[in-house]
Amino acid sequence: MTAQAARVARLALTDFRCFTNVEVELGEGLTVLRGPNGQGKTSLLEGLAWPARARSIRGVPDAALVRAGADAAVVRCEIREGTRTQSFAAEIHATGRNRLQLNGNAITRHRDLFGVLRVTVFTPDDLELVKAGPALRREYLDELLEMLAPRYVAATSDFDRVLRQRNALLKSAAREGLDTTTLAVFDEQLVSAGGEVVRGRLQLLTRLVEPARDAMRALGEGDDIAFAYVAEWGGGELVLDDLDSVEDRLREGLETLRRRELERQMTLVGPHRDELRMRLSGLEARTQASQGEQRSLALALRLAGHSVVTELTDSAPVLLLDDVFSELDARRSAVLVGLLPSGQTLLTTATAVPSGVQPACELLVQDAKVGVA
Amino acid sequence: MGVYEGPVQVLIDELGRLPGVGPKSAQRIAFHLLKLPTEDARRLADSIIDAKARVSWCTRCFNIAEGDLCSYCRDERRDGAVVCVVEEPRDIVAVERTAEFRGRYHVLQGAISPIEGIGPEHLRVRELLVRIGAESVEEVILATNPNIEGEATAMYLANLIKPLGLKVTRIASGLPVGGDLEYADEVTLGRALEGRREV
Repeated sequence: MTAQAARVARLALTDFRCFTNVEVELGEGLTVLRGPNGQGKTSLLEGLAWPARARSIRGVPDAALVRAGADAAVVRCEIREGTRTQSFAAEIHATGRNRLQLNGNAITRHRDLFGVLRVTVFTPDDLELVKAGPALRREYLDELLEMLAPRYVAATSDFDRVLRQRNALLKSAAREGLDTTTLAVFDEQLVSAGGEVVRGRLQLLTRLVEPARDAMRALGEGDDIAFAYVAEWGGGELVLDDLDSVEDRLREGLETLRRRELERQMTLVGPHRDELRMRLSGLEARTQASQGEQRSLALALRLAGHSVVTELTDSAPVLLLDDVFSELDARRSAVLVGLLPSGQTLLTTATAVPSGVQPACELLVQDAKVGVA
Repeated sequence: MGVYEGPVQVLIDELGRLPGVGPKSAQRIAFHLLKLPTEDARRLADSIIDAKARVSWCTRCFNIAEGDLCSYCRDERRDGAVVCVVEEPRDIVAVERTAEFRGRYHVLQGAISPIEGIGPEHLRVRELLVRIGAESVEEVILATNPNIEGEATAMYLANLIKPLGLKVTRIASGLPVGGDLEYADEVTLGRALEGRREV
């Protein structure tokens, strides 16, 4: 792989989670963060990854990141890629707007942060990607899309906004009667914002299959996996050939489901209803695969995402492995270690690291302080 | 947040209702006001009452106006055939700064936003249609904000006005002048490409 890799060279957190003030220098290659549970290892990863998404990688609201008693949490970091160094700073407020700065300039839009830092995160909860409902799998696809092009950062946030407006309109229709002219306007907006998201997901999914198969094979599982993008409003599975007809299908879906939407007072047409269905040897991965296969498939999804992002952006995301080995058996751990791409990697563990892991640096995280182990 | 003595808390509550003023700012402003000399505080109070008493909505375009019509509607040199539709009076100021537009305005006083319970019936849409009927308007320029609500409002108005046989245009969105293409973000550049024109 000839791709460059961005890395976080220095990270400083103030009033972030349990940290009052902490500053760490981080090298290339593998850094192991070791320490007992509940001492701040995951919070450190969370702080490091914050600039990548301008939100927590654990899906919690910003208020949860501000240390109790403080007004704002501050994340400051230096991101190095090749010979270029960028400095990022964020003041995260429990209430109100956050203040972001890149290289000393204020940033007001999320998409202006595009490409500054990308992360691939592995957590023990990843099993849910396979086992839980479709929402997490949609989020998996959308997070990857947002790493690939700023267009998708705009498309997903536009779609969310349109969806909220349209739902509010459907609700008010029940009270005040339907205003068909206004609904027609939001229909058209749903079609254009939703169409962009659906088309992005379909193209991405096609790219994910091969690297996911490779990962499954390496993990010693069967590589007979199949992904299907299922949109009920579109009459079932959508494939790459449907790319040009997505908008038309959305319009048809709105037509067909109009009555049910008005009855249920919510939008039933659009990417927020879709499902990424996965099959292993012809069986439904979510309900029919063994726990072990599900774990492998979750790892494969993360690894595939990482490789697609690396390939398309020509830059490897920073790898964050949060306590993943505690949930994996020795064999899968060993394979995962072998599969890890080079590039900056941070790994947290409460116990020993699996054999074969050769950290370039080990840090001890204890009592909300970070020291050299 | 603690509750203060009667009138102080009333002041804080009132300030806190202003747009963009949170509870902490309200408290800070209140204590600033209390420290002011009486005449300074009175001048502020008077200016609020005075503005409120003398300024109202222009009966034609719903801009702020001192008297019946706003200054743009009173100005006979302006071209009544072109009407620029904006969301708020402050948007007029922005368009005026360009010194490129010599037509008249129409202020909607908001944008369609079902979340906030704002539908077209809450905007000055009916009044716009009346104007189109009564004045000899030839072109309507839709200059609502380029966000979801502004686009929805523009689309709504276009659907309504186009069948009347008028020219309806939407302001272009695109690159800032004086910027470099290579620094433009993909979304803005994409929109600029969409709205390209022949030269």
